[in-house]
Amino acid sequence: MSWQPTALNVSFLTLVGWALFLAVLTARADLVILAIPLVVALVAGRRGAAAALRIDHRVSADRLFEDERATVTLTLRADGAVPLVELLEPLPPRVHLERGRHHAFFTLRAGEEIHWEMVLRCAGRQHLQLGGPHLRFWGPLGLSAAEARHRAPHTVAVYPHLEPLRHLPRPLRTQTFVGNYVSPSQGEGIEPGDIRPFAPGDHVRHVNWRATLRLDTLHVTQHHRERNADVVLLLDTLSDVGPSGGTVVDVAARAAATLASAYLARKDRVGLIEYGGQLRWVRPGSGRAQLQRLLDTLLDASVVFTYVTRDVDLIPPRILPPQALVLALSPLLDARFVRAASDLAARRFDLVVIAVSPVAVARAAVRRSRVADVAARLWALERRAQLEELRRGGLTIIDWDGVGPLDVALASLGQRRPRRVLAG
Amino acid sequence: MIRLAAAALVTVVVGIPLAILPAAPVTWLTVVALAIGTTGALVLSVALVTAGASLALIAYAVALALARPAADPFTSVVFGSTLVLLLALVHFGRRIDDAVVGPGVVAGQIRHWMAIVALGVAGAVVLTLGGAVLGPALVGATLPVVVVAAALGALLAVAGVISLVTAPRDSSVVAPPAARKGQ
Repeated sequence: MSWQPTALNVSFLTLVGWALFLAVLTARADLVILAIPLVVALVAGRRGAAAALRIDHRVSADRLFEDERATVTLTLRADGAVPLVELLEPLPPRVHLERGRHHAFFTLRAGEEIHWEMVLRCAGRQHLQLGGPHLRFWGPLGLSAAEARHRAPHTVAVYPHLEPLRHLPRPLRTQTFVGNYVSPSQGEGIEPGDIRPFAPGDHVRHVNWRATLRLDTLHVTQHHRERNADVVLLLDTLSDVGPSGGTVVDVAARAAATLASAYLARKDRVGLIEYGGQLRWVRPGSGRAQLQRLLDTLLDASVVFTYVTRDVDLIPPRILPPQALVLALSPLLDARFVRAASDLAARRFDLVVIAVSPVAVARAAVRRSRVADVAARLWALERRAQLEELRRGGLTIIDWDGVGPLDVALASLGQRRPRRVLAG
Repeated sequence: MIRLAAAALVTVVVGIPLAILPAAPVTWLTVVALAIGTTGALVLSVALVTAGASLALIAYAVALALARPAADPFTSVVFGSTLVLLLALVHFGRRIDDAVVGPGVVAGQIRHWMAIVALGVAGAVVLTLGGAVLGPALVGATLPVVVVAAALGALLAVAGVISLVTAPRDSSVVAPPAARKGQ
């Protein structure tokens, strides 16, 4: 740690120079005497004491959702006296101070301990890097300073925010595991189905006494099986629009996380395919560990520029099962993704495209003006025409502006999807 | 609070030349010095305060040259000490602006400043007394000695300013914290 003179020395030297120059000019000793306190301050004020400071840097969480708070606590313990130390915790982008300050000054006596706390709000999905505070030790008059960096790297995973959803697109086909969808096939379940005559092996508790009394022979009530479904989220990362932290990919990733959480809560198996310059996927699975895997993958979802078009044929069936409900999240800006979605629909995949409108997020990044308003309206009209054309081509599309609740957009699909699912 | 204290110190600095000679040239210089110095104190700008203090120094020299009063070491020491406190206070205020200030920081700083000012006052008193004692022994040579010493000091100060301004340095040390808040 080396002590360096600060800009304040220039001010002191300027005044000393003026005083002595004027003393020569006017031949007055008063001005020489005036300069003496300034010269003494210049000499004495540059003395910097070696500081021995121990710092404990803690972050309250290593995993958060967007808009949740993390508390950063610094504990400073001085082995020797520290006349003045300045600390600055650099804030990464898309992180806001909710409480406290990230810049502080402390004076510590030998053995003294000080706690300093700040609360950060994380505004966007990211790997939040907190590297530890910058330290600046000041001399008594601010004429010298020494800098150091306390390295305490902390990484906090800030996952996309999860919204509550009530209107989930129902899958057309179910799988063989127990879930929440009523299957047309008969078996164990709680949803009553047909009534048939009693056969050896039937449980007595399934006897339908009302039908038995009316028909004079034993009849039993059959039940529909409750099955789960495979859901694959197809995230378009071929193109991106919007300001940092609020791009279309960010909005789509937030929607994908919300959908994944909602389907996993219904015991479905959920997988993820990031369809972009880099084709990445997560195999369908269920449970809390799967949600964690999906969130970790969504955290890194970003546009990787490429001219190479990867066909969906490259995706193995275990990642994209033919019976799965495919939810494609895309702004539909890249023709390659539109072709891939049309290809899946043509191959009779149960595909629902959630078209995230890039107009609103792009509008947020541009300064308000009449020209921008007209351009946004024209773009919205063009987009509406594009969606209509795709609908005529057989795609099921949910138009979502990316600003309002996803649930409202999903509710519009409810009328157009069959209630009863097909047996897997 | 720091801004008010700095503005009060600026008032003291510009008040001394006026007290010596409340005449037109000195008054105009002190008015300009007061305007620049007070602005510097309010916006916590060391550069503006330095400019205001320099003008006050010039006004003080003009007042001394025109009024030709007897040498007054007390007023000079007060002037010099006030300048030290003013620069230290504005620089400190600039640094802690918009930052958490721990317990005892301000009190500790004031203690350090007072100790250094006391040292400066002691130095000025010793030199003044030394000059008074040696004066009769060096009749006729006192003024040339003072002038040569002051000229050398002025040259050294200018050289110091030039070396500080032109020397390559770690910019992060010199940059005020406000410049780094956007990180």
